[in-house]
Amino acid sequence: MGLGAIVVMGAEQESFCSTTAGTTAGGALSGQPVSCVEVLGRTVIERTIERLLRAEVEEISIVVAKEISHLVQPFSSGLDKLRVRVVSDTACAVADTLRNYAERDIEHSFLMSANSYSETDLLDLFYFHKEARQTATRAKDCEGFLDFWVVNCANAAQENVAELLFSTKSNAVSYFVREYVSRLNHPRDLRKLASDMLRGVCSSRPSGKEIKPGIWVGEGAEIHRRARIVAPAYVGRGSKVKEDTLITRCSNIERGCHVDAGTVVEDSSVLPNTHIGIWLDVCHSVANGNKLLSLERDVVVTISDPSVMRFNGSARKEALQSLSSSRVKEKKQIAADSRNETPAPEPWQLGANPIQG
Amino acid sequence: MKMYTKSPVIVMELPEKLTYAEGQTLMVELQPLLEADRPRIVLDCSKVEHMDSAGIEILLRCMEEAMKRDGDLKLAAVSPTSAAIMELMRVDRLFEVFDTSDEAARSFHAVAVPEAPQDLPWYSAGYGLTNLKSA
Repeated sequence: MGLGAIVVMGAEQESFCSTTAGTTAGGALSGQPVSCVEVLGRTVIERTIERLLRAEVEEISIVVAKEISHLVQPFSSGLDKLRVRVVSDTACAVADTLRNYAERDIEHSFLMSANSYSETDLLDLFYFHKEARQTATRAKDCEGFLDFWVVNCANAAQENVAELLFSTKSNAVSYFVREYVSRLNHPRDLRKLASDMLRGVCSSRPSGKEIKPGIWVGEGAEIHRRARIVAPAYVGRGSKVKEDTLITRCSNIERGCHVDAGTVVEDSSVLPNTHIGIWLDVCHSVANGNKLLSLERDVVVTISDPSVMRFNGSARKEALQSLSSSRVKEKKQIAADSRNETPAPEPWQLGANPIQG
Repeated sequence: MKMYTKSPVIVMELPEKLTYAEGQTLMVELQPLLEADRPRIVLDCSKVEHMDSAGIEILLRCMEEAMKRDGDLKLAAVSPTSAAIMELMRVDRLFEVFDTSDEAARSFHAVAVPEAPQDLPWYSAGYGLTNLKSA
């Protein structure tokens, strides 16, 4: 008896971006799915994978919708147990994966949307599902149902997956999650998640080292001695915080950011590789490159002046590196494909001419 | 740029975009008004959709000029986007901001004078010297 997991990244982002609020707020993340944005050093999807690995899941399948595949960062943890599939139809891909699991004696599988973060006890949920003896058990919390199920692979493979998961059978028992849950429908939820992690509301902790109580700093971060950081706060790896800056009220500065002299970052999240200029007030906001989402006003502001806010050089370097690595991969793929193909005999080759035998 | 007066206040509608180029045009139009004695100007920002640091600098320069001549420059109908930029650049608290240009214009007329309490002698009224007589 085995246990698998399927994490779906796709349809949720579409609906998120199609709402009016979503469009304005979604722009702040440059179209990136919320689950792929780093919060205190790691993305939500990475944290989810780690939780699944800790629950000794045999295989984790990440089903990524084709439309957003270019936005998904490579995963660093649990690579041997991880399978990433880019698909055009997520529902079909889920059904295929469940069938595949059933064939390989993986009896049950977690099925979840990447767009929600939950700290539920996975094994408790699994045993609850086993005792309930139903094909699918859906999790819920005090705000309603979550996109999180445990599924009996063999039974589910024979049924219509979408119907099975979203049916509201009166006799179906659902699992009530008492632990921390964040639905991540809006970049505002990212901010809340960061704040909750820093305040210890949820069990997940920031990455990096806690240099003082409540102050986490990533590797290679440079903090000027005249900068003031009020706990709880987070400064990601490779970030620079210049003199006379103030980082306060559960703010998080993610990796590769620069916060220039005299700037105040209050109750805000500065997403990776963002440069914040001198003497600014970043309050109740999510800053990403030259975009600023004001959470109080619910508007996204694009800053045209690069001395105020911009993506810094490391963002460009990373983009170039990923582009060059993808080109290298493509070339390797082409080379591998050409090796696999049976080469057509050249006219001058020995044996090419049937008459030569 | 549309301009009208609500004597003695001048209300001016700002364009959709307030960057360096538009700011220069604004400055040229406002210059004669700013040189008057005690200029009282309201800038209606209801149409402003895009503003940058150069635009904000122009606004600050106009306010400075107005204040030099004992006048003032107030803003009206600032959009959330412009308000967010002004907050980011720490200039939101320098300007008086009103919901409408009418309110902003009215604010120039209203001079708040605290009423003197009637039951106190003239020498202590309003000066916090209520115990002066007994002392």
